[in-house]
Amino acid sequence: MRVLVIEDEPRLAENVARSLRESAGYAVDIAHDGQEGLFMAESNDYDAVLLDLMLPQMGGLQLLRRMRRAGQRAPVLVVTVRDEKESVVALLNAGADDYLTKPFDLGELLARTKALIRRGKGHPSPVLAVGDLELNTVDRSVRRGGRPIGLTAMEYRVLEYLAHRPKAVVSKTELLEHLYDYNWEKFSNVIEVYISGLRRKLDDGSARQLIHTLRGQGYILQD
Amino acid sequence: MTAPGATHNSIKGWLITIVVLSQTLLAAGLLVTGILYTHRQMLSTLDNHIQAHAMSVAALVRYTEAANGALYFDDSLVPLSVDPSRPDWYAVWTEHSGLLTRSANWPAGFEIPRDGPDHWSFRWANTGYRGLRLFRVPVLDREEGDAFHPEVLTVVYASPTARLDQQVQHSGIYIAVSSLLLLAVTIPLALWGIRRGLLPLQELAERAALVSTQAWELRLPEEVQQVKELRPLTESMTTMLDRLRHSFDQQREFLGNSAHELKTPVAVLKSTLQSLLQRPRTLDEYRAGIEHSLEDLERLDQLLQWILRLARAEQWARGALRRDLETIDVTATCEDAIERIRHLADSRTTTVRLSKNGPVPFRADPEDLQLIWINLLENAVRYSPPGGSIDVAVSWGNSGGAQITFEDHGSGIDPAHLPHVFERFYRGDPSRNRATGGFGLGLAIVKALVEAYGGMITADSTPGKGTRMTVVLPASR
Repeated sequence: MRVLVIEDEPRLAENVARSLRESAGYAVDIAHDGQEGLFMAESNDYDAVLLDLMLPQMGGLQLLRRMRRAGQRAPVLVVTVRDEKESVVALLNAGADDYLTKPFDLGELLARTKALIRRGKGHPSPVLAVGDLELNTVDRSVRRGGRPIGLTAMEYRVLEYLAHRPKAVVSKTELLEHLYDYNWEKFSNVIEVYISGLRRKLDDGSARQLIHTLRGQGYILQD
Repeated sequence: MTAPGATHNSIKGWLITIVVLSQTLLAAGLLVTGILYTHRQMLSTLDNHIQAHAMSVAALVRYTEAANGALYFDDSLVPLSVDPSRPDWYAVWTEHSGLLTRSANWPAGFEIPRDGPDHWSFRWANTGYRGLRLFRVPVLDREEGDAFHPEVLTVVYASPTARLDQQVQHSGIYIAVSSLLLLAVTIPLALWGIRRGLLPLQELAERAALVSTQAWELRLPEEVQQVKELRPLTESMTTMLDRLRHSFDQQREFLGNSAHELKTPVAVLKSTLQSLLQRPRTLDEYRAGIEHSLEDLERLDQLLQWILRLARAEQWARGALRRDLETIDVTATCEDAIERIRHLADSRTTTVRLSKNGPVPFRADPEDLQLIWINLLENAVRYSPPGGSIDVAVSWGNSGGAQITFEDHGSGIDPAHLPHVFERFYRGDPSRNRATGGFGLGLAIVKALVEAYGGMITADSTPGKGTRMTVVLPASR
């Protein structure tokens, strides 16, 4: 998953990004003002956007409206110091999916972000199931047929993304886009390494294969 | 008059006391005056009767047929007593031969006073009497040509006053009873009147009790508004409430603004500490986290300092603080302030030029003026390009007070932001201010302080050319 944090207070942005990376295993990009935030939101496909309302260059509300007008579908969690009813209503009406008031709890921010991503991809439950595979996004544990499977952080991230979009063809480029932030060099062959690792661990001892390769197109997770 | 537990100094109690006291006093006065007047009138009537009886007694003294002019008293014609039920006394003396006659009931040993008025009162044998002495009464029974020396008489007549006393007593009782009856009617009437008259006051108190920080308006019914005596009170209450509400709103707004501004630094601090706790960290990571937290706290502390400084300045501007101020030189405080920001100006290679016009006296605390100048100077330095210059000028304004201008040649202020620059926590562009460490409070503090001294501050700016801040202080009284 890849998340954009638009926040002008550098320390706060850094703390939020670190927390999302460490506790959820997300790739995180940071924008420090409205202009930069809008540019990044429009040029990448984020799984969620965390937006501070008080921003230099362009206010959060305006940014949100422009994002939505441009057809951006990423769920947006707004962080605001105001919690009056009118401003909350205005936010939700402008296209926000949820909001948090400062000073917030990092744990709550994390949980709300996860929930937004989940719902954005059409999954009400935090436990994603494909066949006899179960992926718990809360504690990031994976089981197949009740048997726990130990994955590396990167393998989990690849599987989590695939599990969010079961039965859909996910290209290597899409995986790269959603698993790495701006600062990483993207090499498509690393994806192949993770996929083969995942296959070995998931399908080991099982009759049915879960991850399928469509040559030249990408991967499908299905039973 | 005060019932137990009732408030002291009650107007109602006071009025009731006065009314009851004055009415009782009136009744008592009426009683005493009535008794005295009746007594006097009746005594005068009694005196007239006694005089008439005495004269009748004197008229009963006759000459005998003998030529020597001897006298006799014809007691067959003695008049009845003044009070027919109580016998009077009388005695008649002649000048030459002493006692001529006296009534049978004349008490033995009774001494007639030598001096004093003709009519006098006395007591004898536990009975009150009114007496009359008539001296040198000529004998009426005298014929022309009588040779003997004419005789003159002394007549003493006394009558018991029992009936008079009784009559006076009766009229006293009559007056007292009628007074009490009147009091029984007038006192309740007065009490009702007092209660009725004080009703608007009670109403006012009840309405005033309804005023709160949620409902500031003092709603008064028509009958209270029309009471002339209450008008100054209701008017001053309304004015006071307006002022209170204004000041309360300001405080609330200030509190709201401050809490709002504190949220972001608190959020930063909280996130730093929480992310530190999210998983086990290395010693270096903990150290970095604590250092970051300290930096965040430092910023929070600074913001609090500024908020408190502004709160003090605004409180003072509202007149809550008065100090004994000495006359100081405005130019000197400017020079001091320039000296104090020298380091900051040098670090940005900004030059500060001061154009002065001799000493400008003003009554103020030099610390306050310096704080104003330093804030304005820091602002000017902040928005000047490196290597730029700032012009400070101290001169006399048109109104006779000092005029101080601070002019920078920086980027200027956007016309959209210009009207708001003195508002607390206003930041035209948050990023620029955060980068330069401002909280949007400096100019608000400057404005509050300038206004506390009765002065005015204005900002004019041309984008791209620079900003000029003008402080005008009032003429010293």
